[in-house]
Amino acid sequence: MSDVIKEDQVLDCSGMLCPMPVVKTSKAMKELQSGQVLKMIATDPGAPPDMEAWSRQTGNELLRSMTEAGKFIFYLKKK
Amino acid sequence: MLWKTNDPDTKKILYVQTHGEKDPERTATPFFLATAGAAMDNEVCIYFTMNGPQCLAKGNGEKIFIPRKGGNGKELKYFIDQAQEIGVRLLVCQPSLDLHGYTMDDMIEGVEMIGGAAFNDMAVHADAVIAF
Repeated sequence: MSDVIKEDQVLDCSGMLCPMPVVKTSKAMKELQSGQVLKMIATDPGAPPDMEAWSRQTGNELLRSMTEAGKFIFYLKKK
Repeated sequence: MLWKTNDPDTKKILYVQTHGEKDPERTATPFFLATAGAAMDNEVCIYFTMNGPQCLAKGNGEKIFIPRKGGNGKELKYFIDQAQEIGVRLLVCQPSLDLHGYTMDDMIEGVEMIGGAAFNDMAVHADAVIAF
């Protein structure tokens, strides 16, 4: 059983296709303070590799990536 | 130098779009890849040459329709707006304007004109150049 991550904000990108989840995530992260966590929910099958790449490129840490009830859930920590 | 960033960590990506009205299905992808690139905190420009400037002519964004199997196609304007909103810069090539009888007045708001030397200068200083 893994630790519970507490998010500061939730962004639901269900139903959105590339590049919208990335665009919305980028905008939402800009609103957060350093150290805060965004929980992003997506249904786009391209989201897991995209969010991994986004995190690597922007330096905002991808704390956890998981699948729940057919949805992809990401916890991203603002750098 | 046409690239604006002074931050060595910011990557610079230059897309090149050569397609226009005749190939609607080839018009949207450079815009949305550029949008994703900008959302990853890169500096991103798209250079429109050959038929590319047709994508930026006033009224064409509404006219060029990107079809999609099963419906849900979209006007090109949707992708252009998305790219401009996130800070992707749209550059046109002067001789390609002439090719279509365009002037800068025919281009949508925000388009910048550069020449062949400036394009090559941007290309050698870019981290990636991707042509369509």
